[in-house]
Amino acid sequence: MTKRTVTSVFLGAAMMALFAFAPAINKLLSSKTHVKLFSTTPAENIEANNYKSVSVIDTKTGDVVFSVPMQSFEFEKALMQKHYNSPKFLDTKKYPKAKLVAKITNLSEVNFEKDGTYSAKVKGTLELHGKTNSVDEKATITVKGSAIKVNSTFNITLADYNIAFEDGKPSTNIAKTVAITVEADYAAKD
Amino acid sequence: MGASNHSNKQKISKVMTRKKIIKIALILIGVSAIIGGGVVYYMFNMPHRDVQATKTDYSLKASAIVNEYFADANKANEKYLDSEGESKVLEVQGVVYDITDDFNNNKVVRLKSDEEKAGVSCTFTAEGNASVANLKKGDVLTVKGVIRSGAAFDSDLDMYEDVIMEKCSLVSK
Repeated sequence: MTKRTVTSVFLGAAMMALFAFAPAINKLLSSKTHVKLFSTTPAENIEANNYKSVSVIDTKTGDVVFSVPMQSFEFEKALMQKHYNSPKFLDTKKYPKAKLVAKITNLSEVNFEKDGTYSAKVKGTLELHGKTNSVDEKATITVKGSAIKVNSTFNITLADYNIAFEDGKPSTNIAKTVAITVEADYAAKD
Repeated sequence: MGASNHSNKQKISKVMTRKKIIKIALILIGVSAIIGGGVVYYMFNMPHRDVQATKTDYSLKASAIVNEYFADANKANEKYLDSEGESKVLEVQGVVYDITDDFNNNKVVRLKSDEEKAGVSCTFTAEGNASVANLKKGDVLTVKGVIRSGAAFDSDLDMYEDVIMEKCSLVSK
């Protein structure tokens, strides 16, 4: 091999590496998030809030990922929070994160470059408490300049995630289905 | 006569003892009911742990805890996380990467140097927010708070996730 070919091969490789690691401008990142759990029974209403989730949306492929640190849910009552975290319920030491991996299935109806409010269909899986189930929900995407906001409300059935309340007080005080409200502000990922 | 008088006295004292026992038992039941009720009431209304008033479990550099998680996440979770959510209280030293606000209007300070892949994301308390108002990127500081989760590369997010700390406040050194 001549010196020239070596140089050009090296340059070519360098160029490819540069392209491979170029910042992906089609990715949106959110670390400003709010995930709320809400359970209602005749006995009581229970609410928990989490502000530490991280989410990424790929505007080209429609991929949506949400990573939720489970110990960041805060309840009004300290005892409820302890129950929630304990191995009997969510076992957050063993399963510190929940994760939604989904895709916007009607991506052609969402324009991330044009101001407006779009209804997105989101389909994928939710991994929670070590169990993965399919989810098929709706979300609202609001585009205003470079600021992109996502809102969604959906229900999950606790039994689907092996979260069982067989004995004692919590079984009558916690609903079988819990409403999840999600809010996230996105910006271009650097 | 004298003998029967004596046995009468014995009977009376037996009745007295029985009454006394019943009385004491009732008092004991009453007291334990009050204590029991008090405990249940306290448990139900138990205040949240005051992280800032809790003794620090570990004092370390931001890069050190991140590397502990990179090396063995399970081992680090075992060390730092609590099964009832009352995880370890840490004092973490690091360099300010950025400061943002969350939806709760609390300050979030990320401790990470430019060349590191992941850092420690610290959400401050409402009381602690003012203390970080004048901070800027590059400042070196120590933050006390409770750990919620560790750092790792997430292939779905296609990025590194930071160690998460909440209930944070600046530690003056």
